[in-house]
Amino acid sequence: MNSFIRIFMLLIIVIPLLGGCWNQRELTDLAFVMALGIDKGTGNEKYDVTFQVVVPANVASSQNGGSGGQGPPVVVYKSSGNNLTEASRRATKKIPRELYYSHTSIVVIGEDLAREGILGVLDALDRDPEFRTTTVVIIAKDRKAEDLISVITNLDKLPMNRFIKTLEATEAMLGENIKVTIDDLLQGITSSGKEPVISGFIMEGSTEKGTSPQNINTTKPPAMITADGLAVIRKGKLAGWLDYNNARGAVWLMNKMQGTDIDFNWNGIKDAVSTTPFLSNTKVAVSIKNGKPFANINIETAFKLSEINTDFDNEDPKKIEVLENRVSAQIKSEVESAIKQVQEYKADIFGFGENIHRNHPKIWGEIKHDWGNQFANMDYQINVKSYYRESGLRGKPFWSDLKK
Amino acid sequence: MSILTKMLKKKQVQRKNDNFRQKLDHSIPGELLIHKDYQENISRIKGELGNSADLGIRELKIGPYQGALLFIDGLVDGKGINEFILETLMDKKVPIEEFDLFQFVLDQTVALGSVSTITNWNELFDKLLSGCSIILLNGCNKAISGETRGGETRSIAEPTQQLSIRGPKDAFTETLRTNTALIRRRIKSPNLWIESMKIGRVTQTDIAIMYVKGIADEEIVNEVKQRLNRIDIDAILDSGYVEQLIEEQTFTSFPTTYHTERPDVVSSQLLEGRIAIVADGSPFVLTVPAVFVQFFQAPDDYYSRFDLSTSVRMLRILAFFIALIGPSLYIAATTFHQEMIPTTLAIAIAAQRENVPFPAFVEALIMEVTFEILREAGLRLPRAVGQAVSIVGALVIGQAAVQASIVSPVMVIVVSITAIANFSTPVFAMAISARLLRFALMALAALVGFFGIMLGLIVMAIHLCSLRSFGVPYMSPVAPFSGENQQDVFIRYPIWALKYRPRHIARGNIVRTGENQKPAPPKHGNSHESDDTKGN
Repeated sequence: MNSFIRIFMLLIIVIPLLGGCWNQRELTDLAFVMALGIDKGTGNEKYDVTFQVVVPANVASSQNGGSGGQGPPVVVYKSSGNNLTEASRRATKKIPRELYYSHTSIVVIGEDLAREGILGVLDALDRDPEFRTTTVVIIAKDRKAEDLISVITNLDKLPMNRFIKTLEATEAMLGENIKVTIDDLLQGITSSGKEPVISGFIMEGSTEKGTSPQNINTTKPPAMITADGLAVIRKGKLAGWLDYNNARGAVWLMNKMQGTDIDFNWNGIKDAVSTTPFLSNTKVAVSIKNGKPFANINIETAFKLSEINTDFDNEDPKKIEVLENRVSAQIKSEVESAIKQVQEYKADIFGFGENIHRNHPKIWGEIKHDWGNQFANMDYQINVKSYYRESGLRGKPFWSDLKK
Repeated sequence: MSILTKMLKKKQVQRKNDNFRQKLDHSIPGELLIHKDYQENISRIKGELGNSADLGIRELKIGPYQGALLFIDGLVDGKGINEFILETLMDKKVPIEEFDLFQFVLDQTVALGSVSTITNWNELFDKLLSGCSIILLNGCNKAISGETRGGETRSIAEPTQQLSIRGPKDAFTETLRTNTALIRRRIKSPNLWIESMKIGRVTQTDIAIMYVKGIADEEIVNEVKQRLNRIDIDAILDSGYVEQLIEEQTFTSFPTTYHTERPDVVSSQLLEGRIAIVADGSPFVLTVPAVFVQFFQAPDDYYSRFDLSTSVRMLRILAFFIALIGPSLYIAATTFHQEMIPTTLAIAIAAQRENVPFPAFVEALIMEVTFEILREAGLRLPRAVGQAVSIVGALVIGQAAVQASIVSPVMVIVVSITAIANFSTPVFAMAISARLLRFALMALAALVGFFGIMLGLIVMAIHLCSLRSFGVPYMSPVAPFSGENQQDVFIRYPIWALKYRPRHIARGNIVRTGENQKPAPPKHGNSHESDDTKGN
């Protein structure tokens, strides 16, 4: 009995050894893929895939112990295949290390591919255990994803950080773009009565200059990456773009507005008054009126004054009422034009269908097959209420004193 | 197999014989009685001690009678002998008439606090060798022993190992009596009992068992005595010997007895119902039973306010875990779970490791072993050289190793944090345990990553829960859980709320504080309530 227990214990002790360092990988054996670019294939294959792989020594060059390399922080490899797995496995022929996706923070899809349909690439991104579902997806507007991925930038040593941080900053300050992750995208695509949007990025300047060290050795980079517009996806395909105020209107309506600025004329001076909404809430109730869906949209927002370039008495309640109305009107017009544009694309990115599904499931069953058209023709009513909350550090602007 | 067992048996028989011989050798005078002729006695003592140079013999003349004073030079207080034995013996006028010389000397001349009569040789040697003076009188088959212990001993100094910011600054010395006195001075209760015994066939070391009668569990006291009585060894040179002979389990890296050099700590533990074992010649006093959480309670915890004590204690527990799993977390994260490191950090670490030729585990092992060597060397080196070594060590570890691309800077940080964290455990014995287990966890982490670390920690937890110290579960009061004793585990309650003694250790008398001990501003009219309700 005693010897049995001893042998048993010995076997148990051996168990961890049998694992034999399974799956053990040193950091230096990995190629950290920072960004993944997917384009429509130029050859026989369906996809061209570009991998932006980080060169650690060049990122951390200022540190002791790094080799202090002088090269660019990333290197881009290209490969092609009929699906993502094929492409990534083929890429290993060129890359000396194992491709590692756990730190991939952005997937760029070329516009050509987006117009043709992105459904084919989503499963791989969702299924791979290394891939995070929080990875951000963007579309390269009028460009190939490859171009965007190859550009090196200053300020952020890792170019992919450039995308993420730009997106986050503009989402909070301007509200024309929103950060969409793979998870959001899949949810939008699979849910009935809702279509997803994806933020777009453009590149200004030439790819050639953008990929050379020139781009970071100057204060005016010849190639710039800029967030631009929202892509409306319909049935997995790019239906069209929403730009500037239309994009902002859509963001208002999707209740994703974190902050922006709204300007209007005063005393005949163009954009003399600037206000910045900082809190907002959008409520949408979709009902059926006369056999047609009807959306009742209520937007509430609180704003502060950020700039007055004319004589304006912001201590007068009547003036403030006017101010509030002007802000409301501006928001209303933006939302209206956004809806009109999206109705043209027949893609319900606002989730009106989902709203009906939730509140009137029976009616939804009848209209869901034709929802695209129903959405395109539906009526809506927009009520905006805005509240003046802060004036900043000053009361009346100095313009008022100038008059005296 | 059979050859092996045969050989083993042979060895055992040999050993038994050795023991027997040794016993025979030492069973010198047995129950032999002291001779009447004092010269005979002296020559016998000289013979037994092999004419040792430190045996002092002073022949005496008391009136017409002859005698001798014997002592071991260096063990006795020479001044005391001169003043209280020799002077008085010589000054005394001996009455001429018939009288009992022995009784006369015993009662009237030896001016010492503790005097006793000896009739057999065993006792005589015991007394002589422990620093007593022996007076032999011609014609008496008895001897007088006078308590003249003295000689050079170290005086009470500040603790060198268990430092504290606040609180008493005295520490035990190598002298048993001084040590027990230091404790007695703190607990002026007749219930503080001291029992003594001698252990060590050759060294005959004095051992004192101290406990507070009425608080300590009688069963545990008996168990302690039994285990001490069981000891049959030639020498006890430090309380560490005793510790290793009475602890519950040898094959564990966790200490199941507590040792300290601070009398205040021993006193507080006695009052919690623990039993102290003081060994002569050792400035470290053992207390049993010891439980796991006890090793994270520093004396400062009780001398400063509870909010500070609690947060510091939490910090200490955190530091223990860092010391335990710091390097293994690094190994697991960099070789198995790269996705868990923030992107920027992962790239930074990758860049640093770019030129390091070893896998993370080997890298960690190199650094850890280097540090352990440095630490051990720093401990042993003569003080004059120590400084030089620590500078070289700091340079080697901190700078050169990194520049030579043997290790990465992150690894240096990990090792440094681990090393520093290790020193924040108040008791060294527990810190050493974390130091040992760390290497096992590193190996597990290198094999299977976090899964391995988890396995290791689970095995450790099971092992800890299976340990006992003198019958008390080692993890109490966490497992088995005791609600009322949580007051002094992770959170140190305010002193007035530390109501109960540990239930698993003290039996019966467990209430520590009286009612209404919470301090409050005086109400109008009556400024003080009666405060004489302290328990025991």
